[in-house]
Amino acid sequence: MLKKWAIFMMSMLLLLFIGTGCSSSNEAEKQNGKIVVTTTTGQIADIVKNVGGEHVEVTALMGPGVDPHLYQASQGDIQKLSNADMIFYNGLHLEGKMGEIFEKIAKNKPTIAVAEAIPKDKLIKSQSGANAYDPHVWFDIDLWSYAVKEVRDELSKFDPKHQQDYKKNADEYLKSLQDVKAYAQKQIAQIPEQSRVLITAHDAFGYFGRAYGIEVMGLQGLSTDSEYGLKDVQSLVQTIVSRNIKAVFIESSISEKSIKAVVEGAKKRNHTVTIGGQLFSDAMGEEGTKEGTYIGMYKHNIDTIVSALK
Amino acid sequence: MSYEGWILLTGSLVGISCGIVGCFLILRKMAMLADAISHTVLLGIVGAYLISNSLEGIYMLIGAAIVGILTAFFVQLLHSSGVQSDAAIGVVFTSLFAVGVILLSLFAGKVHLDTDHALMGEITFIPWDILEINGINLGPKAVWMLGAVLVFNLIIIFLFYKEIKISSFDPDMAVALGIPVLLIHYLLMGMLSLTTVASFDGVGAILVVAMLIVPGATAYLLTDKLSVMLIISAIVGVLSAFAGYFIATIFNVSISGSMAVAAGVIFAITFVFSPTHGLLSRWLARKRLQNKSA
Repeated sequence: MLKKWAIFMMSMLLLLFIGTGCSSSNEAEKQNGKIVVTTTTGQIADIVKNVGGEHVEVTALMGPGVDPHLYQASQGDIQKLSNADMIFYNGLHLEGKMGEIFEKIAKNKPTIAVAEAIPKDKLIKSQSGANAYDPHVWFDIDLWSYAVKEVRDELSKFDPKHQQDYKKNADEYLKSLQDVKAYAQKQIAQIPEQSRVLITAHDAFGYFGRAYGIEVMGLQGLSTDSEYGLKDVQSLVQTIVSRNIKAVFIESSISEKSIKAVVEGAKKRNHTVTIGGQLFSDAMGEEGTKEGTYIGMYKHNIDTIVSALK
Repeated sequence: MSYEGWILLTGSLVGISCGIVGCFLILRKMAMLADAISHTVLLGIVGAYLISNSLEGIYMLIGAAIVGILTAFFVQLLHSSGVQSDAAIGVVFTSLFAVGVILLSLFAGKVHLDTDHALMGEITFIPWDILEINGINLGPKAVWMLGAVLVFNLIIIFLFYKEIKISSFDPDMAVALGIPVLLIHYLLMGMLSLTTVASFDGVGAILVVAMLIVPGATAYLLTDKLSVMLIISAIVGVLSAFAGYFIATIFNVSISGSMAVAAGVIFAITFVFSPTHGLLSRWLARKRLQNKSA
C-alpha cells in the first residue's frame, strides 16, 4: 500500500513537470533586417553599437556590474546565442571555459575574439614563459582600437553592402577614443609624479597603468580565487605612507573589505588615506547612464582617479 | 535535437548518475564529500597549470580528476584508520584546498585561474560544445562524457551489487563473509570522484553537489530497500532537471541553479508527505496511537 502511494506520487510529479516543462518555446524574434549581434562584455557591445550603428541590434550577455569571472548564465542566454548572426567576445581566457564554447560556435557562425586581434607582443604576459596573457585590454585605448578595427572588418565582411557606413562610424569612434586618450593624459599630468600610484583591490588596471605611466598595486591577484597575504597588506601600507598617496580605490565588481583593511592600517601609522570613489573595472555602469558607455566609463575612471590623487 | 532537448538530456544524465552514486554517499554518511571535491579540485587545476603552462580545458580536467581521486582516497584512508567520516572529509578538504590557494598565490598570482572559471562547466552552453569526429556532428561532448560515466557506474553497481550493499549497511558482516570491504569502498570512492569531476566539467559545482545529495536523501525518506532507493533517486534526479529547466524558463535565471532549487523543493514535499518517514504520516500515526490508548 505504502509503496503504491510512493509510486503514484512520483508519477504525478513526473507528469506535471513534463507537461509544463516542454510547453515553453520562445520563437526567435526577427529583427527587421538588422544584424543581430551578441557580445560577452558591455565594452564590446559598446564598440559594436558605435560601429554598426543602425544596421545592428546588440545585446551583451554580461550586464552592468557583472564581473566576467563571476558571470552566471541564465536561461535567456540560450536565445541570445542561438538568435545571434554574429558573436563578439573578448578572448585571452577572459571568459574562461566559455571561450572554448565560442571556438566551437565559430564553425557555424562568425564568432570573433576581439582581443586576439591585438599583436601578441603588445600584450602583458601573465608570467614569463607562460602561455597566458592579461585579458583586461580595454583600459589601453591604443590596444582597444585594434578591437574596434576588428569589429569594423568583421562587420564589413559579413555585410559588405554597408561597408562604407561601418568604415565611417569606426573612424569617428576611433577619433573620439583618441580624444579620450588625450583628455586622460592631460588630466593625469596634474597628479604629482611620485603619487601616480593606483591602488585597487583587483589587478584589472595593468594596461591602464602601462599606458599612462601609473604604477598599479593591488591586493589581489588576477584571479578572484587567490587570496591576499598579510605581507601584501603591510607592504602596501608602507608604500602609501612613504609616498604620500592620498587615496585607494574600490571597484564596482569587487568587495570593499580587503581595501578597507589597508585604509585602517595606514590610519594606525598616522597617515590619512581616503577611499577614492568607485572605479569601473571589469563591468560598465547601468545602461542609459553616462557610465553605461565605454567612453563615459573611461572618463569617470580618469576623473575619479585624478580628483582623488592630485 | 533542439537546444532545450540537449540541456534536458544533460540535466537528466547528471541527475541519474549523481542520484545513484549519491545514495551510497548518504548511506555511508559522507554526503559532503562532493562539496569537498568541488574545492580541492583547485589544487588540481593549479597543478595542471604549473606543469602544462597552459589554461586549456583538457589539462584542467586531468588535474581535477587526479586530485578528485586523491581526495576520495585520503578520506577513505583516514576513515578506515578510525577518524570519523565527517572529520576526515573536513581535514582533507581544507588541507588540499589550502595547498591549492598557497600554490596559486606563490606561482600563479598573475594568471586567471579559478575553479569556477577553468573547470566548472555551464549547462546553458552545453548545446554548443559539440563533439565532432571526421566532420560528423555527434551531439554535445558533455552528453557523451556523462553518458559514459553513467554506463560505467551502472556496470560497477550491477557487477558488485551484493558486495556493495552488504559493505554499506554492515561492514562487519561483510568482512565475516569474506567480502573485500576496503576494496569495495575504494571502488565506490573512485566512482564518486570520477562522476563528480566529469559532471563539474559539464554542468558546474552547484548542480552536481545538489544532485549527489538531494535525490538520495529524498529516496531515503521513501523506502528502506536499497534497490528501490536507487531507482527513486534516479527518478528524482530527472524530475529535478525537468522542473528546474521549467523554472529557469519562467524567471529567466540560471538553469543549474533552478535545477538545484527544484531538487530542494521535491525534497521538501517528500519530507512532509512521505508515507513512511514524512512529518504528516508520523503525526497521523501518533494521533491514531493516542486515540487507541484513550
